[in-house]
Amino acid sequence: MLRIQNLHAAIEEQEILKGLNLDVKAGEVHAIMGPNGSGKSTLSQVLAGNEEYGVTAGSVSFAGEDLLALSIEERAREGLFLAFQYPVEIPGVSNLQFLKTALNNRRQHHGQGEVNAASFMKLAREKIKQVNLDPSFLKRGVNEGFSGGEKKRNEIMQMLMLEPKLAILDETDSGLDIDALRVVADGVNALRSPERAVIMITHYQRLLDYIVPDYVHVLANGEIIKSGGKELALELEEKGYGWLGIDEEAGA
Amino acid sequence: MVGWASTKKLERKETDMTALSTIEFALPAAGKLPESLQLYRQKSKTGLTEIASPTRKTESWKYSAKRLGLQESYACVTPPSADYQPVYALDCDTLILANGRLQSHDLNISGLTIKAFADLSDAEAQRVQSGLVAQSNDLQFATLNAACLQDGVYLSVDANTHIAKPLKLVIQHTGEGMSFPRIFLQLGKGASICLIEELNLIADDQPAFSNGVCDIVVEENAKLQYLRMNLDQSSSQFTASQQPNCKHPNCKHIGATGVQLMRNARFESYCLALGSALGRHDLRVKMLEPGAECSLNGVCVTRNKQHYDNHTCIEHVAPHCTSHENYRCIADDQSQIVFNGRIHIHRDAQKSAGSMSNNNLLLSSKAEIDSKPELEIYADDVKCAHGTTIGRLNKHEVYYLKTRGLSEEQARLMLTLGFVLEIVRAVPLDEVAEFWEQTLSKALLTQSELSLESSDDE
Repeated sequence: MLRIQNLHAAIEEQEILKGLNLDVKAGEVHAIMGPNGSGKSTLSQVLAGNEEYGVTAGSVSFAGEDLLALSIEERAREGLFLAFQYPVEIPGVSNLQFLKTALNNRRQHHGQGEVNAASFMKLAREKIKQVNLDPSFLKRGVNEGFSGGEKKRNEIMQMLMLEPKLAILDETDSGLDIDALRVVADGVNALRSPERAVIMITHYQRLLDYIVPDYVHVLANGEIIKSGGKELALELEEKGYGWLGIDEEAGA
Repeated sequence: MVGWASTKKLERKETDMTALSTIEFALPAAGKLPESLQLYRQKSKTGLTEIASPTRKTESWKYSAKRLGLQESYACVTPPSADYQPVYALDCDTLILANGRLQSHDLNISGLTIKAFADLSDAEAQRVQSGLVAQSNDLQFATLNAACLQDGVYLSVDANTHIAKPLKLVIQHTGEGMSFPRIFLQLGKGASICLIEELNLIADDQPAFSNGVCDIVVEENAKLQYLRMNLDQSSSQFTASQQPNCKHPNCKHIGATGVQLMRNARFESYCLALGSALGRHDLRVKMLEPGAECSLNGVCVTRNKQHYDNHTCIEHVAPHCTSHENYRCIADDQSQIVFNGRIHIHRDAQKSAGSMSNNNLLLSSKAEIDSKPELEIYADDVKCAHGTTIGRLNKHEVYYLKTRGLSEEQARLMLTLGFVLEIVRAVPLDEVAEFWEQTLSKALLTQSELSLESSDDE
């Protein structure tokens, strides 16, 4: 589904990703861990198409297409979803408003007709309930005045609405209490299917107790330096990154 | 605030000042006005010789005088056939002022007096002259309106009467020349009504100038909802689509609204302005007795080379009065918006509470917004706050929406509309709120198209 080869990316002429390789197949859940400054968030932003980052070398194919040649919105319509580490607040634009446009753009892209108002509302109510938020959040400005946990749950709600092929969760677990963490995990698990894949970027092993990954990768200094099964996360939790030859302070 | 008289001296020295009266306005015949209004008209006409046409040195016209260009002569337009088709569905009663003349109607609403100025009694005619705008000597164009008085509509709601249906006043200017619509509304004690002013300037690329005055008195415990929409359109440019726009460089639309509030009276206004070549609205509220409350809300969107000037002034004369103000403006292309909001708290107006907020969005590097909050406070026990912001679209917000699959255009439209939606949603009539939302979407959507057009004009 996603193949990243020798990816180099920079922001303001500072190279962050330095030859990253990653292969994600449909049905798989990958966890990417690593110390601060290793390039985890850069990876998620580059995949989503953030124009502040420049790709200097390498290739990314997504569902058979050259991902890097697609615009931000085309990537989304193709089925890529990024749950932001810091979701923005947009006063004046409600979840309902933009999700309807987002969903219809996607449907149109895949040759489907527009969703009718009634079934859209039904779907939205169902999904907001699934992430344990009050239905009033649908009509409020996007993330406006939401708490940190509510913002993250709202990201998951959007993900459930848009049903992406590939979901990238950028530290969605950070700052969450245990109940919210469970809600997020339930949301991701509900989406797991043989046709979909998930990349979770996280600092902490605890998320992986709830969403069991197929693979765990360690990202350091812009490269994946170690990959393994879910045991790798436990090992990292126990030993830190030091044993892999990473100086944790250097990258921070 | 700098008074009219003091600036006049400056101008005499430095510029070729033109008194408004020397401009060749073909003044209309007085018609059959009651005697006291004829005198009022005559007095105003004499007063005009003392009033210079505003220049950029006139403080209240600093940003807008360059758009006035009054050197050409205007004829006074004659009343056209009033063919009015509502552009949105609303259960309301409708009155039409076509080029300032009240059109015949068959409204018979219990508790509501509707009269043309020609039919006013002496007492009623006196009341017209006691309005806040009528009494102001620093509104140059209001004086011009009075000097050209021909007709007007007089509305009065009986005490303790609630007029259930909104009353819509269609103030239509059609054709080349000037018109001087005039409205007087009085709400008796405990009365309430919702008044919609729908302003339209339809000119086939001809110079046109609408210069209106609306004076309002809200008596004790009465309540007025005032919805004012400036929907100028130029029929040659946008025939079928009802597209609000006025492209002729000599399309000017000036209006002044004055509101006097008595004890515990309430006034709520929602003003929508889509720029003309020159659009201007002076909104003045004077709270004369304790317990009065006003809430002034406005949305203003300009494109192309349009220009819109909002001047508001809230006077807390009596103690224990409350005012809220919230204006949102969006300027694109090379257009310009002015917001000048004044709160004046008089010495005896203790326990006044006032808040003013003006947020602005610039969509182009050539657009200009001038925001000027003015607080003048002479009482010591008051709560008064104001805030103003000017910004661009937030690129992080645009990016966020694009990652959800929205196109650049969809994201920008949603965000610009979102910027004003809070006020639109607060409009008391759902049908009108919806119409505003549609009108604004359309106005904001066609932006890129018009940007291209305006660059061709260069």
